[in-house]
Amino acid sequence: MSKIILVIFIFATSLMAGEAHDIIRKLDENFRGKNIYMQLSMKVVSMGHERVMKMQSYSQGTKKSFVKIIYPPKDAGITFLSLNREMWQYVPKIERIIKIPPSMMLQKWMGSDITNDDMVKQSSIVEDYEPEIIKREGSVVTISLTPKENAPVVWGKIILNIDTATYTSNKDIFYDEEGKEVRYFIYKNVKKVGNYFIPTYWRVESSDVAERYTEMVIEEVEYDTKISEEYFTKSALKRFSK
Amino acid sequence: MFKLALKNTLFYKGRSITTAILTFVSTMLFILFISMQDGSHNSMLENSLKIYTGAIEIYAKGYRDIGGNDYLIEDAKAITDKLSKIDAIEAYSARYETYGLLSNKEYSAASMVAGVEPSKERVLSSLESALREGKFLDEDSKNCIYMGAELASKLKLRIGGEVAFVGGASEGSFAADIFRVCGTFKTGSFEFDSSASFLARSYFDELMYAKNKASYITIKLKNLSDADAVNSQIVKILDDEKLESLTWKTLMKSMVEAMEVDNIFGYISLSLFLVVIFFVIMIYGFINISSRIKEFGVLRSIGLSKRNIFLLLFYEIFILSTLALIVVTPLSAYICYYYSINPIVIEGIADMYKDYGIVSDEIPFDFNPFTIVWNIVVIYILNFISILYPYIYINSFKPIEAIRHV
Amino acid sequence: MYRLILKMAYKNMFLRVHRTLLVITMIAVSMSMMLGIQGLYDGMAENMIEKNKRSGSGDIALFAKEYRVQKELKYRVKNASSIKEEIENIKGVEAAVLRLKAEGLLSTARKSSFAFMQGMDLEGENRFGRFEEFLKEGEMRLEKGDAIIGLELAKTLKLQIGSKVVFSTQDIRGEINSIALKIRGIVQTTNIELDNSAIFVDIGEMHRFLGTNEEEATQIAIICKDEKLIEKLVIKYPELEIKSFLELKPTMKMMQDVMLIFNSITFFIVMSVVFVGIFGVMYVSVLDRIREFGIMISVGMRYKYIRVQIFFEALFVGIIGYLSGAVLGAIILLYIKNHGVDLSSFSDALEMWGYEAVIHGTIKISYFTTTFAAIIAASFFSILIPLRKIKKLNPIEVIKADK
Repeated sequence: MSKIILVIFIFATSLMAGEAHDIIRKLDENFRGKNIYMQLSMKVVSMGHERVMKMQSYSQGTKKSFVKIIYPPKDAGITFLSLNREMWQYVPKIERIIKIPPSMMLQKWMGSDITNDDMVKQSSIVEDYEPEIIKREGSVVTISLTPKENAPVVWGKIILNIDTATYTSNKDIFYDEEGKEVRYFIYKNVKKVGNYFIPTYWRVESSDVAERYTEMVIEEVEYDTKISEEYFTKSALKRFSK
Repeated sequence: MFKLALKNTLFYKGRSITTAILTFVSTMLFILFISMQDGSHNSMLENSLKIYTGAIEIYAKGYRDIGGNDYLIEDAKAITDKLSKIDAIEAYSARYETYGLLSNKEYSAASMVAGVEPSKERVLSSLESALREGKFLDEDSKNCIYMGAELASKLKLRIGGEVAFVGGASEGSFAADIFRVCGTFKTGSFEFDSSASFLARSYFDELMYAKNKASYITIKLKNLSDADAVNSQIVKILDDEKLESLTWKTLMKSMVEAMEVDNIFGYISLSLFLVVIFFVIMIYGFINISSRIKEFGVLRSIGLSKRNIFLLLFYEIFILSTLALIVVTPLSAYICYYYSINPIVIEGIADMYKDYGIVSDEIPFDFNPFTIVWNIVVIYILNFISILYPYIYINSFKPIEAIRHV
Repeated sequence: MYRLILKMAYKNMFLRVHRTLLVITMIAVSMSMMLGIQGLYDGMAENMIEKNKRSGSGDIALFAKEYRVQKELKYRVKNASSIKEEIENIKGVEAAVLRLKAEGLLSTARKSSFAFMQGMDLEGENRFGRFEEFLKEGEMRLEKGDAIIGLELAKTLKLQIGSKVVFSTQDIRGEINSIALKIRGIVQTTNIELDNSAIFVDIGEMHRFLGTNEEEATQIAIICKDEKLIEKLVIKYPELEIKSFLELKPTMKMMQDVMLIFNSITFFIVMSVVFVGIFGVMYVSVLDRIREFGIMISVGMRYKYIRVQIFFEALFVGIIGYLSGAVLGAIILLYIKNHGVDLSSFSDALEMWGYEAVIHGTIKISYFTTTFAAIIAASFFSILIPLRKIKKLNPIEVIKADK
C-alpha cells in the first residue's frame, strides 16, 4: 500500500517539477521569442539624481544581442554587441570599437542596478537553475529557482511570481547564499504582442540601498521579425551607429 | 655632603671617567637613534604623502566606502574658498577621479583616471618628479595623458601614442575620448604605476561634466605635525555633515601601523643597548664602592646615617651624569639638528631601489627638543637605578665590619 | 704547574663574588637579550622569505616571455610539462611544479572583486613547499568544484568555508567563462599577492575550464640548492623568461640586507660594551691584588704564569657568563621560536608587509659560536692593559706599598 502511495507521490512530484520547468521555459520564451526587437527607455534614480536613456535592442536566441543608444543626444549612436558572452562597444565620438574585458563585465551598467553580465547571461535561468513550485494562488504560481550543482551563478535562490495566464513574472526576488534578499525586479503592464506576452514596465531595486532604483519602460516590441544577421557582427557596431 | 661627593668624584678618577664616558656614549646613542628613527619615519611618511596622498583630504561621506558619482563633492569651490583662509595650509587642490577603460588596439586595461590641476600638483605631489619619459602636464595640455609606466607598457603605449578612453561621466552618461600619451611616470609603487593616469582638469572636466565637482580635496600643510589641529579647524569651518575631513593618520592607516611596529622593534634594540650600558655603569659603580667599603664604614661610625650615605652616592652619580649630559646634550642636539637639515645621503640607495618604492637616498634626522628631554630623563633614571645595588651592598655591612674590611 | 694556576684563577674568581657575579649577570643578560633579538629579526625575515618561496616562485621560476607584463593566458608555456620533467632530472633540483594562472573576477551575490585563479597540483605543491601547512581554516581538498582561497580575499568577499563563489575569466578562445566553486579551505601564505587575490583550484579542472591542455602552464617553479642552475636554464631555454627568487622579489633582498647590517651593528655595540665591563672588573681586580702579584714574582713565579693565571680568570668569567647567557638565550629563543611574539594589534600593518601577526624566531648555531668567539676575544683583550701594569711592576716597591 505504502509503495503505491510512494509511486503516486513520486509521479506527482515529477509532474510538478515538469510543470515548473514548463513554466520557466515559457517565461523565458516570452522574454525572447525566436528573436526580439525592443525600444526601451531606462530611468536610473539614485540619491536624488535622475537620468533617462533610450535604446533599441535586437537579440536572437541567447547568444547574440545588439544594443544602440538613441537618447540622450550626447550618447546617441553608442552601440554594444554581445556574441557568445563576449562584448564590444562602439563610441562614435572617438570612432573606436572597444572590447570590454571580463573584469568590466560585472560592473554596473551605465549607473543602473543592472550589470553587463545580466545583459549577456540572460539565458541562464533555464540552464542553470532547478525550478520548484512552492505556492499557487489563482493563476499566479510562485516558483523557487535553486542553482544546479556547479552552475556558475552567484545567487543562492531566486523566487519568481509568475502569472500562468500570460507566463510573465510580476516579481523576481534574488537572494544570496545565506538566504538574504539582495535585489528584486518588479514587472507590470503586460502587453500581448503576437503570440507573446511581455511586461512593459520593469523596475530593479537593490534591497539594501534605499533611494535607488532603475526603471525600464518598453516602448516598442516586435517578436520573430526578420532581424538581419548583419546586426550580430562586429562591423554592425559602426554601421548601425548612425 | 655634596662637597664630599664632589671630592670623591675627583679622587676616584678611573670610575668617574668611565661612568661619564659611558653616560656620554649611551646618551649620544640614545638621542641619535631615536632621532634617526623618527626622522626616517617622517621622511618615509613625507615621501609617500608626496607621491599622491594629502596630509588632509576632504571627502563627501560615502565616497570612500561606496564611491561612484553619487558621492562626489558637488561644489568644490565653496570648500576651497573656506580653506584659503586657513594659514597653516600650504596648498590644496580638488581632484576628480574616475575608473574607466583605457584601450589601445587589442590591449585594454581598467585604470584610475584623474583630473588634476597640474600647477598645484607640482607643489602637492611628486607626480612631476616621478617623470620617466616625456613631460608632465600643464594647464592647457589638452588631451595629454600622464600615465604610470607599468600601465603604459601593459597597453603597449609610447610617448605620443593614442589611447581610447571609455568611462562614465559625472552625471552618468558615457564619456569617451582619445588621449595622447605625453608622459609616463614611475613612483616606485607598482600598484600605482600600473593603474593610475592623469589629465589636466581644464580638459577632463569638459569631458566628464565635472566642473567644480571633486572626488575629494587634497591638502598640503606647511607643517605636517599640525595635521590634527588644522583638521579640527577645517571641520569647524566646513560645518557640513555630508563632508568628512581626514588626516593622513586615517588615510594611511596601515603605514602608520607599520611605523609603530618599526618603532617597537627600534625600542627593543635600543633597550638592549641601554641594559648593557646600565650594567657597565653599575659594575663600575660597584667596583668603586666595594673598594671604598672601609671608607663607608668610617663614615658610618662617625655618625653618618644610611640616608646620608645614599645621598652621597646619589650626589656622586648625579655629578657624573650631569657632567656627561652637559657635554653630550648640546653636542647630540646639534648633530640631530644638523642632520635634520642636511640629511645623511647614502649614495646609490635610490638608484638601486628606485624600482621598488624607495625614492630618496636621504636619511634625515628628527630634531625635536621634547624628544631629547625625555631621552635625557631616561638616562638620568637609569643612572640613578644603577646605584641601588651598590648601595644595598654597602649597607649589608655593619660599620665595624666595614672598617675591618680588606 | 698549570693545574695550580687554574685552581688559583678559579679561587680568585670567588674572592670578589659580588663583582664577578655582576659581570657574569651583565654578560648573561645582554647576551641573551641580543640572541633573542637576533633570533626574532632573523626569524621574521627568514620566515617571510621561506614562505614566499614555498608558496610562490620557489628558487627559480620560468615564464613565457611577455607573460609577466601582460598576465594573459595567451603568453603561456606550451610544452611546460615536458620542460618540468627535464628540469626534475637535473641534479640539484628538489622539486618543480606547474602552475596555471588567470586573472578575472570573483563574485558572490553581493560583492565582486578582482582575483586570479591559480591551477595547481596539490600533491605536487605539498612536495614543493608543504602547501598544506598554510591552511588556516577548513581542509586541503581540491576535487571537482573545490577551491582554496587566500585569507585577505576571503575577508574582502566575506567568504567562509562552504561559501559558493563564481569566477569569471576569458578562456583560451577569448570567451568569457564562469565557474562555480565551493570554498574548502582558507590559506594564509604571507605572500601578499596570494593572500590578497588568489583562489586555488586543481590544475586539471582549470585546464578543462579554460580549454588549455595538460601540457601547458603559465609558470614553472623550481626548488633547488644549486645556485648555478639558473645560468644553465637560461642557456637551455632561451625562449623562456627565467628569474630567480630575488629578482622576482627584490624587496626581500633589501630586507635581508637591512637585517644583516642591523644585526651586525647590534652585535658589535653590545660586544664592545661587554668588553668595557670585563675590562673594568679585570683591571680593578688586578690592581686590588697588585701586592699579591708582587709577592708572587718576588718568590720566583714567572711573569708567564701570572699572565696565564689572569687570562684564566678573565676566561672563567667570560665562559661562565657566556654559558649562563647561552642557556638564558636558548630559553628565550626557544620561547620565541615555539610561542612567538604576538603583535596581533598591528596585524593590519604586518600583513600588509607580508608578516604574520605572531612572529616566530629562529635559532642558529652561529649565534652561539660567534658570540662565544666574541666573548673569548673580549676576555682576552680586557686583560692586556692590566697585564702591562703587572709587567712594569717593581716587586719591592709593590710589597712595600700599602695599597
